[in-house]
Amino acid sequence: MEWLIAEACGSFPYLLRLILEGLLIGVIYSLMALGLTLIFSVLNIVSFSHGEFYMIGGYVVYTVLHHFKQVPGLVAVFLAAVVTFLIGAVFERLFLQPMAKGQVDRPNEYAILVTFGLAFVLQFVMLGLMGPFPKKVPRFFSFPEIDLGFLRTTRTTLFLGKIPLPGSRIFAAIIALIALGAMLYFMYRTWTGWALQAVSQDRNAAAVVGINPLNMNTLAFALGGMLAGLAGAVLVSVFSWVPWVGVPASAKSFVIIVLGGMGSIPGSLVGGLILGVVESLGTGCWPNPATAQAYRDVFGLVIFALVLLVKPTGLFGRKL
Amino acid sequence: MKGRKVWVVFLVALLALLVAACQPKEVVKTVVVTKEVKEEVVVTKEVEVVKTVEVEVEKAKGACAPQSFDELPKDKDGNPIIKIGVPIPLSAPGSVTGGQAMQIAANIAVDHINSKGGVMGKYKVDVVFYDTSGLPERGRAGAEYLITQECVNAIAGEYHSAAGLQEKEVAHKYGILAVFAETWNDKITAAQYPEVFRIAPASSMVAEADAKFFKDMGVQWVAIVAENTDYGVPASEATKERLAKYGIESEIYLAEQGTPDFAALVSRIVEAVQNKEGKKGVLVLITGETSYNFEQQAVDGGLAPAEDLIFVANQVAANHAEFWANVPDGNYMAFRRVGVVPALTADNPVAQKFIEDYKKATKDPDRFPESYAFEMYDSLMLVVAAIEKAQSLKTEDLIKALESFNSRENGYQGAQGIYYFLYGTQNPVPEGVPEWMWHQWPDPAILFLQYTEQGQSVNDACVIWPDAYKTCDYQYP
Repeated sequence: MEWLIAEACGSFPYLLRLILEGLLIGVIYSLMALGLTLIFSVLNIVSFSHGEFYMIGGYVVYTVLHHFKQVPGLVAVFLAAVVTFLIGAVFERLFLQPMAKGQVDRPNEYAILVTFGLAFVLQFVMLGLMGPFPKKVPRFFSFPEIDLGFLRTTRTTLFLGKIPLPGSRIFAAIIALIALGAMLYFMYRTWTGWALQAVSQDRNAAAVVGINPLNMNTLAFALGGMLAGLAGAVLVSVFSWVPWVGVPASAKSFVIIVLGGMGSIPGSLVGGLILGVVESLGTGCWPNPATAQAYRDVFGLVIFALVLLVKPTGLFGRKL
Repeated sequence: MKGRKVWVVFLVALLALLVAACQPKEVVKTVVVTKEVKEEVVVTKEVEVVKTVEVEVEKAKGACAPQSFDELPKDKDGNPIIKIGVPIPLSAPGSVTGGQAMQIAANIAVDHINSKGGVMGKYKVDVVFYDTSGLPERGRAGAEYLITQECVNAIAGEYHSAAGLQEKEVAHKYGILAVFAETWNDKITAAQYPEVFRIAPASSMVAEADAKFFKDMGVQWVAIVAENTDYGVPASEATKERLAKYGIESEIYLAEQGTPDFAALVSRIVEAVQNKEGKKGVLVLITGETSYNFEQQAVDGGLAPAEDLIFVANQVAANHAEFWANVPDGNYMAFRRVGVVPALTADNPVAQKFIEDYKKATKDPDRFPESYAFEMYDSLMLVVAAIEKAQSLKTEDLIKALESFNSRENGYQGAQGIYYFLYGTQNPVPEGVPEWMWHQWPDPAILFLQYTEQGQSVNDACVIWPDAYKTCDYQYP
């Protein structure tokens, strides 16, 4: 076994490190993809502005922490969730409800155009407001420097034996996990969550039992935007933030929801983790170091293509 | 079901073949020489050896630059203006940091020229900016637009080699002067186009300095992290080749521009570093904002700082405010600085005036202009100097004027130093001298500095190499 690992990817601690790093970023991918899944399953549209909600989330945190230095990072993350929720709700009411009410010809094309439009508007508004220069917030917390042998920390990094794990990512993943837990509780343990699921399964039947599908549409789009905003809010201390930072993040979300199964909540959770780990292992183990990082996105897309070939509905998708 | 399995196996095999086919291969170098003839028929033939042949060619139609001062367009007050095109990156995936600094520098140059009454005291200069995003296709489109729609008399600027390589082709096609400010790819000048000049160093010059630096620091293995572009790939290969010459092993790691997440790559380099003996080095050849992501993640991932590792960040680290905002744990990182440092500008009034105005324009009294800002300013000033010397707007006269700056004594005093070009149409590059020395300024200063404290100003950073300018030794954590 050890020989196999050594042949494929160096040492076991190295392999473990790659997997852990993949899981850390994968949790955040899952959070973002869950938002897109929610929008797709309830509104039956693909939001092309999802990455921009992610971008807005990061900028809200930056703005709050830049102007009010005493505000704790978690409060800024919460505010980012509120702002992105509100943007999502207002946009859905103004631009997507006419589609749901049948007031728009060619609703499918309309949805694509209007969400693309929102993406451009948000990108260029933020470019105007924040400028093109990269922004970043300080780490939400620094580790105290301790050394317990196997467990060691520096300001920035947690060492598990020989495996260093970035503190900022650990923190981001923990917040993302809490948000995911809260969202799953909401979806599976509350009346409103059940109402959302009911609308996603059959709008007319849901309406018959007293659920207002239009309100559920608004809630789903706002929640979806909020989840993307949360993902951005926790990652703005990890990556440098620019107005077009949402574009690659959005592309990953599309891959995840198709990989996991369009409209499937467990699918988006598992899909995010798979994508994170595959990208990490691919980059870390690809035989040619020169091209490993450059092929990073390719590794995820290869898995994506294979899953589609074997199971076109995705890992947890409903039968077509 | 069985049929589907067969298809899956077939497609996996196909994918594997595709991936294998994408692996880098040794490429046989061929040189393509393109001639344009009067009938506008392009003849292309492949030859084995490059020969400098002077050919009288008629340039492609479409350029609309005025050929005499009487033909100059007028501004709204009726004054004649000379238009100069400035292609720079002002949006992603290009280095917006670099592009904006160059835009500020270009505007300062225009103010300085026009405040003296303009070129030859009577023709105001107007620059037309074009955002290339650092992309080849936008570089080509931008040069076409500037030359055929804006009717510029010359092009000055550009930050990214990928865009610059295309712009030089367009400038050559239309016979318009191009003075490149910050494009390092050897091929920019190695093509030996009469219209093309460069005041930035060639990649090979920088690679040599990088290799010497690591040799002098006693490094035995270097990770070269480069962007997968027309700048990064040849620069990393040139550096690897020169490191090998000094007996230093190295490994190249390429990354796409705009990549935010480098965690796995950092892990990979950490693993490699742990398996190497002696002193190690990391050299970042990723330009612009993407470099910040790699550098901070290198700290987060436990790669830097370390007692036996020298980490050389990208040159945009010289923009200290932005660097510290994005790489808050970047203390102990070194960075290469191409161009002058404050101590080298004390006796140069041109530099002093530019530095003063740059600080005012950026509203940052601590901001010493970056090398690309100096180069942008000087490239515009050189174009103006050529027009004044030639007393003409014709490209062939401007080329002759610039070529007359052929030694340090005969050179043009810019903010960054004295510009001169040893080789050109009057004095072709001799055998044994690299082809990229054509219209190439041979004297750019290349220094290595180090931040030793968090939040340190670039003005206080230590000069650690070369010995002639050294203010302190490299400091390890």
